[in-house]
Amino acid sequence: MTDMPRKNFWSGLGVAALAVMLLTWIIPTYGGSGFAFGMQPQRLATLGAWLILGCSIVLTVVSAIALKRRGESIVATPDLGHLWHQAWPFLYVLGFIVLIDRFPLTWVAPLLIGGLLLLLGERRWYVVVLTAAIPTAGLYGLTAHLMRIGVV
Amino acid sequence: MKMKLLGTAVLSAAMAVGVAGQVQADDFPTKPLTLVVGWGAGGSTDIQARVLANVLEEELGQPVNVVNQPGAGGGVALARLANSTDEGYTFVFGTSMTITFGPLSTETTYGLDDFRYVAGVTLGQSAIVTGEDRPFGDSWEDLVAYAQENPGTSYANQTALDRMIIEYIAQREGLDLRIVPTSGGAGMAPLILSGDVDFAYSGGTHSGYAETGEMPVLLSLAEDRLVAYPDAPTLQEAGYDINAAEIRVAMVPKDTPDAHVERLAEALKAATQDERFIEVTEERILMPVTWMPEEEVTQTLRDQVEGYKALLEELGGLPEDE
Amino acid sequence: MIGFDAILNSFAAALHYESIAIILGGVLLGYIVGVIPGLNRAVAIAIAIPLTFYMSAYAAIAFLIGLSKGTAAGSAVSAILLNTPGEPSSAATCLDGYPMASSGKPRKALKVGLLASVIGDLLATLLLIAVAIPFASVALKFGPYELAAILIFALVFIAGMAGGSFLKGLAAGGMGVILGTVGLDPETGAMRLTFGFAELMEGVPILPLVIGTLALAEMFVQLDEYRRNKDASVIKLGKNADDDLSYQEFKGTLPTIFKSTGVGAFVGALPGLGPSVGAFMAYGLAKRSAKDPDSFGKGNPNGIAAAEASDNAVIPASYIPLFGLGIPGSVSAALLVGAFMIHGIQVGPLMLRDHPEMLFTLFSGMIVASLLMLAVGWYGLRIFARVTSVPPHIVISVVIFLCLAGIQVQGYGTFGLVTVFVFAIFGYFLKKFDYSFVTFLVAFIVTPMLEMNLRQSVILSGGEFSILLERPIALAFVVFTVLMVLHLGWTSYRRWMQARHKAKQV
Repeated sequence: MTDMPRKNFWSGLGVAALAVMLLTWIIPTYGGSGFAFGMQPQRLATLGAWLILGCSIVLTVVSAIALKRRGESIVATPDLGHLWHQAWPFLYVLGFIVLIDRFPLTWVAPLLIGGLLLLLGERRWYVVVLTAAIPTAGLYGLTAHLMRIGVV
Repeated sequence: MKMKLLGTAVLSAAMAVGVAGQVQADDFPTKPLTLVVGWGAGGSTDIQARVLANVLEEELGQPVNVVNQPGAGGGVALARLANSTDEGYTFVFGTSMTITFGPLSTETTYGLDDFRYVAGVTLGQSAIVTGEDRPFGDSWEDLVAYAQENPGTSYANQTALDRMIIEYIAQREGLDLRIVPTSGGAGMAPLILSGDVDFAYSGGTHSGYAETGEMPVLLSLAEDRLVAYPDAPTLQEAGYDINAAEIRVAMVPKDTPDAHVERLAEALKAATQDERFIEVTEERILMPVTWMPEEEVTQTLRDQVEGYKALLEELGGLPEDE
Repeated sequence: MIGFDAILNSFAAALHYESIAIILGGVLLGYIVGVIPGLNRAVAIAIAIPLTFYMSAYAAIAFLIGLSKGTAAGSAVSAILLNTPGEPSSAATCLDGYPMASSGKPRKALKVGLLASVIGDLLATLLLIAVAIPFASVALKFGPYELAAILIFALVFIAGMAGGSFLKGLAAGGMGVILGTVGLDPETGAMRLTFGFAELMEGVPILPLVIGTLALAEMFVQLDEYRRNKDASVIKLGKNADDDLSYQEFKGTLPTIFKSTGVGAFVGALPGLGPSVGAFMAYGLAKRSAKDPDSFGKGNPNGIAAAEASDNAVIPASYIPLFGLGIPGSVSAALLVGAFMIHGIQVGPLMLRDHPEMLFTLFSGMIVASLLMLAVGWYGLRIFARVTSVPPHIVISVVIFLCLAGIQVQGYGTFGLVTVFVFAIFGYFLKKFDYSFVTFLVAFIVTPMLEMNLRQSVILSGGEFSILLERPIALAFVVFTVLMVLHLGWTSYRRWMQARHKAKQV
């Protein structure tokens, strides 16, 4: 909890930047246009963006003051190892999304599950095999069933 | 995408074919068909399509799979069908409005001539409706008179087509209407029932209120008077030369071989006489089943498009066209 | 409008063996999910929605409701045996459950928890049925002004109540609103924020969004925390003779159960508060009103009963605003709206008019679910006690697979997979930086409804605010909203000043 003001500060800053981008670029360009009796197509999105901007600026300012009061620095160098620890699952899943796009999911699934188990330190082979096989078999059964009743 | 997913399920498809049996050597269809619905699951088009698929399956001797491709008021499904080279194995069951008015009101990659219209099987029952105890009662003439005296009379619209029609009427009768958008019958009904809106377009919701009389019909937008509301005049009877009749049609790409179209039409004709199809259409969706062969549907649709074009010109283009 | 016969018929439909099997499946699955720490209700519902796609609308919703009820009851098992709540909302159950279990009476603790769960759930379900129908018939008279005002109020209320900072809650709500406007503009037909993707024309598809922000993101968070919590010790069920619940003891907890159900139902009916708040409030109340408050925290059965009864009562009660007004007050209710939408039904007061048989069958199904919960929990005691020891890395791997498979089976294709991934990153940051994803999700789901009603109000009124004076209900909610914002702003300001004050003294 102690690093909450710092988290708030940076997330507030990030969100504020996002809101500014939405307001100045994305919503005016892609928000749609057209004559309307009631509200312009962009109106609600713009209101939402202003709400975000207002809240995030207040949040940033408040947490900056809190940090200053406590005499803590605004920047804390993130631990690289920790960052990597947080990032690799995303890369892992992204990699498999690319694979799923190329190959049938029923082929990729055992690798996806088994690989993650091995990475997480599971070394009992029967656990890996069973955990990978059962959901895949379930998926296979489901697709076969759906095909037969004629949904897909 | 789906095919990839199902790469390993080919086995079961083969089984399905085997079960269906009766594969005639070089006769259409020799493999399962796909019936595409341009709306989400659970809607009236979808409910009807699923029963239709069951009936067709028996008629054609091949499985008929229903696939939903919702989006753009049925437009997404048609855009895909236009590029299909499936020779009739993939066909769309949908409403005529998507193909007649869709290309006029929005930019589409398809037009009326990109498809063959195998048959029309159901007549839409869309209407202009109002609520109970309105100052103008439930007659169209009184409503027009009321709206002429009361600028700001409100109308709830659902589709670009009904919006065009009401703007045309407003222009002709000199009305100053407040046109409120709503989504579907579920959005329209509370506005009418609570009295917040004076009158509205209804695709078919009013049929469910025929017994209680909570949603009187002012005008029928179908070609004839509505089954459940025989007292309300049609657009033409009220003096507007517009044919906005909605027809539910089966469509295939334009280069589909004649033999395939004929076979499908045959099966559809049998479906219109099938009890299950009639029951779900006339008792659940409350629309009359009909039979319109290819030439008749195509001609009707063509006439509608011409009519809409003329209307649009008279209105000086739709506000949507930017 | 609907006769007694129809109600009987709907009950008969819910008692059909097929529908019992589906509800049982939901309850069973929910129970297992509840027992496994780290798999929570939202994750389970999110990945179960694709499964229900091919069921009938009634079966799908009954399954999901059974699932969400089951999680609330199942979570007590791991709270008691593992001292780790299966759902965050069972944290209060740990306080007395674990001490009682470690003193050699795990079976007794589990049975108290189960009975309290079932009674709390059943009573709250009956309350829902009693309240939702009159509520809905009043709500049917609401026009666009009232609905717009109520929706705005609900959003602000959820942002304020959903825990964490009010500012961050509002910001998350803002993001939900922006994402909710994506797609075709309802009035002009203009494309909004679709960036040329035809898939976005009907709005951001709800399933990838939900699976991404809730399920997949949660798995990433768990992967991050995985190395920190390994191997908690599980208490095994022994054959100890006096480890059972006597009728006398059960009777002793009944007053607590009734009181706590009341607390839970009240908390549940207010949007945004959620079961954790309900459970802790009920626990606090039971402790304060007990003759022997000191025995709480050391294995008092009343402690377990209070926490569990209230936790379970929140779930059905949170469907009151859902069925009455169409406003989801919790994550699981928001997910149900999504499931209804997928099945082509607009949830809300109109259901009473358009699909009364569906509504009554659902209600009957919910009662059936309560009873099944009792059976499942009672006879499955021993099995579920074992499920607590499923290691998290297996759960995480399988759930990640299920997330991707759910999208793929739905036919969203590459677009869906990428959407899921993007929203997983988004959800991860929401969780890591403690932005309320309840507010985000509810805002996303109600935005189309809110926008439509706002638009209608603006057009119908001709842009004049004075119309509010003729609409007392709408006006009241506008006033409530303003008061709410002022109040929440003021309390956060005061809290901040106090913190500053303290910081100065240190």
